[in-house]
Amino acid sequence: MPQLRKDPIVSRWVIVATERARRSAAFVDPVKHETSPEDCPFCHDRMSGEVYSGDGVKVLKDKTAFFTDAEPSTPRANGLYQISPSYGHHELVVESPEHIANMADLPAEQIGHVFRTYALRMRHHENDPLVKYVLAYKNYGVAAGSRSIGHARSQIMAIPVVPVRLQDKINGAKLYFDFHERSLFVDLVRQEQKEAERVVLETDHFIAFCPFAARFPFEVWIMPKPKHQHSDYSHGVEGLVPELAGVMKTLLLKYKAGLNDPAYNFVIQSAPASLGAEECYCWHIELLPRLTRVAGFERGTGFYINPIPPEMTAKFLREVKA
Amino acid sequence: MSEMRCDPIVGRWVVLDTDHPKRPGDFPKETRKLSAKATCQFCPGKEHFTPHEVDAVRPQGSHANSPGWMVRTVPNKFPALGRDGEVEKEAWGMFDLMSGVGAHEVIIETPDHERDLADLSIEEVDLVLGQYLSRSRDLAKDKRHKYICIFKNFGSSAGATVEHAHSQLIALPMVPKTVLEELRGSHAYHQARGACVFCDMIEQEYKDRERIVCENKSFLAFCPFAPRYAFEVWVIPKAHSASFADMDEAARKDLAAHLHEVLDRVRKVLGGPAYNFYIHTAPIDYANPQHYHWHIEIIPKLTRSIGFEWGTGLHIVPTLPHEAAGYLRKS
Repeated sequence: MPQLRKDPIVSRWVIVATERARRSAAFVDPVKHETSPEDCPFCHDRMSGEVYSGDGVKVLKDKTAFFTDAEPSTPRANGLYQISPSYGHHELVVESPEHIANMADLPAEQIGHVFRTYALRMRHHENDPLVKYVLAYKNYGVAAGSRSIGHARSQIMAIPVVPVRLQDKINGAKLYFDFHERSLFVDLVRQEQKEAERVVLETDHFIAFCPFAARFPFEVWIMPKPKHQHSDYSHGVEGLVPELAGVMKTLLLKYKAGLNDPAYNFVIQSAPASLGAEECYCWHIELLPRLTRVAGFERGTGFYINPIPPEMTAKFLREVKA
Repeated sequence: MSEMRCDPIVGRWVVLDTDHPKRPGDFPKETRKLSAKATCQFCPGKEHFTPHEVDAVRPQGSHANSPGWMVRTVPNKFPALGRDGEVEKEAWGMFDLMSGVGAHEVIIETPDHERDLADLSIEEVDLVLGQYLSRSRDLAKDKRHKYICIFKNFGSSAGATVEHAHSQLIALPMVPKTVLEELRGSHAYHQARGACVFCDMIEQEYKDRERIVCENKSFLAFCPFAPRYAFEVWVIPKAHSASFADMDEAARKDLAAHLHEVLDRVRKVLGGPAYNFYIHTAPIDYANPQHYHWHIEIIPKLTRSIGFEWGTGLHIVPTLPHEAAGYLRKS
């Protein structure tokens, strides 16, 4: 019997339908890389627009930027419709000088440099009064929205609005806090630890688990443990970077080995102090392998059909040797 | 310089690329790969491969689950929800769950393996709409169901796993989040202004004109002001109506002609792209029909959703809606 499960943060229902994984062609192909090191725009210092460089990580201004850092004009409206200039910054993080495609294959130390760079860029952009939110995320593989250049990179976007998905999470966390006078994220980690069956791995400061109402098969969330929780990533991660890098490397290697080098996305979900969620919110990372295609039902309803229960995917990922 | 636009119903901001807007030919083409007719389980003569049909249009004397049908509805062989049992709700600590009770059906739109919905005649599209309506009305009688979602995936990048033209219906024991957000937004608008936000949108689309694709007596097609996807098109009844299932015969005939025209324009301009559409309608027995307005959202699958959109819900749209509407009008 399929189950309907509700995400405790944003109240989104998900169908966990075990029957549907049996369909043919339901899963997408592994990642292919078409660019050789000779043709790679991120090797050989061919890059322009550098805004930061250190520890083998380079941050470049993205040329295809949808956001402009020119002084914005005032918002305007046409009847029902509101328009605002898209002020902001879009940056590319080149994760290593080496022509390595998958972050999983970088040394843990280098992954740490990348995660430290995210924190630095977030703090840098948060000084800009016109920026409301800074997002750090990664697209790996064409199915995840990346070009097929085999050189690991991720992206930073500083934008003038609070993204709806994050606002949803903060709203949910606030409601929970008002009602229970406890942090939802503390309760969440404690329940995952107690039940254990959705946990993929634990370290001193972090837990990685397949969420109870996962939208996608093999979706994993990485979250600091209760005593180390902080609403904002760039401050909360201080002192924990090497451990976080180790967790990321292990998880990404498990994906690569167990799921045949799948495309994936990850996104850091942080709430900076300006959003007033210090008590109720905790930063975390969503790691989403792109194994199934999102179809009309999901797009049209915001209601996801996950063909594999997270308890099964967690067990699988626990047992994969990385 | 690009700009951000706010959707007036749910308050979602999107980013539009006004500097280098993409034209129809700029998107990668997906060619439709047809599976061999011999192995297709939706073709006439293969009725025994599907679960027993729940509805069909057949000439007199033609028997259920035999060839001869013009359109046919069967339960999904790999259902997302189970048919039997009660809706049992429980909590596991902080987690809420309920039994996955509902219905998941497939509407096989034509016996012809080669044709998609856009290739059918207006009369054939009307038969498909007839199935949508009769199944919606029938499943609405089941008190376990709260919402009926009708949608179509065409082409593998839009999530279709069977090529033979079909759409799907899922009856749910709760209202999905995206629809809830529309209901909340339109309710707030109605509270503040005493009007339906969708009716006001229609009025403004007529005033602005530039985003209109086409229309007939009962329906209007336009590219929404703050779309999430390039070449997104909405089809909406001109007269206020909260529920798709309340549509009368005359409106159904108009919708068949209108949908036929819109899908044909999309196909001509974008070269037969993969696409999704879904019907957004009010929940079953909805108490406040004055503020909601049913509509169909048609989304050609031209770009991939990237990590940024997954993480934020902020969509970056490479084509301006008035330009998309211009291409679609001219076809």
